[in-house]
Amino acid sequence: MPLDFTRSEALTFGVELELMVLNTRDFNLTRGASDVLQRLAKVKHPGEVKPEITESMIEVNSSVHRKYPELLAELRLTRDAIVTEAEKLNLAIAGGGAHPFHKWSERRIFDTERFQRVSQLYGYLAKQFTVFGQHIHIGVANGDDAVYLTHQLARYIPHFIALSAASPYYQGEDTSFETSRLHAVSAFPLAGHLPEVSDWAEFNTYFDAMAGHGIVTSMKDFYWDIRPKPEYGTVEIRICDTPLTVEGAAELAAYAQTLAAELLRNRRTEAIAPLYLVYGYNRFQASRFGFQAQLADPFAGARAHVLLRDDVIATFTRLEGVARELGTWSALESMRERARAERSDAKWLRERYTETKSLNDVVRLQAARWRESARAATAV
Amino acid sequence: MVHVTREAKPPHMDATFLPTFPPTLGYPLLFGILLVAGMLGGEGARRLGLPRVIGYVLVGFAIAPIASAMDMSPLLDHTRIFVDIALGLVLFDLGRRMDLAWMKRDWTLAAKGVAEAFITFGLVLGTLLLLDFPMLQSAIAASIAMATSPAVVLLAVQDQRAEGQVTERALNLTALNSLIASILVTMFLASAHYEAGLEPETIVLHPLYLFLGSLLMGGVLASFGRLLARQIDRAPDLHFALIVGLVVGAVGLAQSLKLSVILCLLAFGLFSRNDEGKHDLLTVDLGRGSRLFYIVLFVITGASLPLTSFEAAGWAAFAFIAARAAGKFIGVFAFAMLGGLRMRQATALGATLLPMSALALLLAHDVSQIYPQFAQQLGTVVLAGVIVMEFAGPLAMQWGLKFAGEAEPDAPAVQSAPTPPPAAPTSTGAPAAH
Repeated sequence: MPLDFTRSEALTFGVELELMVLNTRDFNLTRGASDVLQRLAKVKHPGEVKPEITESMIEVNSSVHRKYPELLAELRLTRDAIVTEAEKLNLAIAGGGAHPFHKWSERRIFDTERFQRVSQLYGYLAKQFTVFGQHIHIGVANGDDAVYLTHQLARYIPHFIALSAASPYYQGEDTSFETSRLHAVSAFPLAGHLPEVSDWAEFNTYFDAMAGHGIVTSMKDFYWDIRPKPEYGTVEIRICDTPLTVEGAAELAAYAQTLAAELLRNRRTEAIAPLYLVYGYNRFQASRFGFQAQLADPFAGARAHVLLRDDVIATFTRLEGVARELGTWSALESMRERARAERSDAKWLRERYTETKSLNDVVRLQAARWRESARAATAV
Repeated sequence: MVHVTREAKPPHMDATFLPTFPPTLGYPLLFGILLVAGMLGGEGARRLGLPRVIGYVLVGFAIAPIASAMDMSPLLDHTRIFVDIALGLVLFDLGRRMDLAWMKRDWTLAAKGVAEAFITFGLVLGTLLLLDFPMLQSAIAASIAMATSPAVVLLAVQDQRAEGQVTERALNLTALNSLIASILVTMFLASAHYEAGLEPETIVLHPLYLFLGSLLMGGVLASFGRLLARQIDRAPDLHFALIVGLVVGAVGLAQSLKLSVILCLLAFGLFSRNDEGKHDLLTVDLGRGSRLFYIVLFVITGASLPLTSFEAAGWAAFAFIAARAAGKFIGVFAFAMLGGLRMRQATALGATLLPMSALALLLAHDVSQIYPQFAQQLGTVVLAGVIVMEFAGPLAMQWGLKFAGEAEPDAPAVQSAPTPPPAAPTSTGAPAAH
């Protein structure tokens, strides 16, 4: 039986943000998700806040939006509500892709049937999966568009990695990567990318085969970097670290929306195989070196490398027209400035460590940044 | 090679290299014995599913008669230094976990703390007066009843790796009630002085000196600690050494200045807590190091609990315990709902406030030094209460943390090959996420 692809309005968008739940004593992750969620259930706030695999994570789901400023405004409200309720419980909330020093073995699996099952199946990988990502959903009209867009966005995965990178520290050490979070994702057997199918029908054949082997039962079993999400009628980009501020999160979503608009408008006809030939290499380069990554260009022939920073700037400049139409230009412009200066959240975290020499303090400042940009926003 | 010229052999053998008989017991041997025996007792208790503390205390019970039978009764006097260091570490750690900023943000927490402390005080006082105990003594006993055992609470949290709202609140409320209890005991000592017929200056000045002096010393030590911390690298092991050194030093200093060790160390911990803006001292985990002293503390506590007091106190001890427990639960429930705690959490929190141990013992001991009538009358009731709570308390605590779902769950048996998902070819509407 084929997977039905729910129609949705093209280019509508929304985000999911996984957030850290911290104690305020040493800023380690703590068991607090269920208490925060219980309090939030009694408070009016936009979007949805849900549990995640361990008790130290919560997930924010935004509503569906057409415009970037609306998404930003909503995320600020949700953030304020979460921060206020968490403070009453003496808990802190922070962005960032991975907690810098927590021990994975100390995590508690959130008590739902699904999470317990995942934990049983995957063993330590499940607790190790206490990492914090941003997922961006872009609405598409049909399954064929979803497959097309998923393939084309693969070329830009390194951009999203570098722009969102916020997990240089892991298990108490500097990993030398801009984002260490992706390694937690890559460990799963069904991580990776969409196979080279050309339309929705072909994808269904693939899915049926996988289901027939008893390997998957739903789309959720694929831990791909980008995947079609037939239930929502979207393409879901899952590569980003949760940024240190909601402003950063909204900008990434604006970039995804603008890019999708341009890709759907000016359809690419090149073969998709070369995209995946360089995919793993470019993904590694971006997560290791950020803006300084050397990207292999799949269509420019042998030995053609381009600096990720230059590629990002060139892409933003190219998208200016579409961005102005969509109302996302301010977001892209601000990201272009950051790319020029090679400023990333990972860099910010490393600077804080150089200043304080303590990862506890880094997380404290991380939480303050998450919280205070909230207050600054409401004051404006 | 260097040749060492030997001295000429003495004409007859000098046996001074052999020990005298019976051999003298030094601190190291004593500490070692108490530690190993306590650890074994703790493990025994754990295997029976009981809190380790109970094992430590039972070892103490067992050691006490052996020690006196072997005519080593000064043993317990010698060990006082271990008790003081251990309590120093416990109170410092507890003070450090008390969060005034949180109490400011959520006033119901402070209200709950004050309510449970004073309702406990009131109920215990009323009960003791009904039983015809004298007013002043009853007030002192009621003050001691307010305090929850910091060592039992900290140890249970550590042992069960508990995390969450009940755990955090239990720690904060324990710090608060220990603080209020020691302040009240200090104040009632003023009246005791009065009854003892001391001159008016002493009546006012002694408690004042104890109270303000101890707070001041805690504050000065915290500032001193920060000052030193700024001179060294921000490495956890350096800060660990700094903190342990300061805590042990503080115990000694408080004793030589005749201040209240309890108040001093609680204040030191509280002022060392890194509130916004001050982050010179790292929040190092004293865990494994202080565990050594905790074990010895409980063994000695067990050894110094006079089982005879139980016979002397009789039913009054049970009335004392019951009134105390009622006070704790009523106080917590009164403000729990306002603070957004679920019934289940409030019940668990009430249970975690029940333990009574070394702190109560020490308070009773200090009072008796100055006010001997207390030891003869109500002191025995308090001690008998402590004996019961030494067992009931850790059990209540363990139950409370489990009931609240905050203790670490027992690891499920590892299945090497779970059954593969059913080979259904269609997607089912599984819940969202990922």
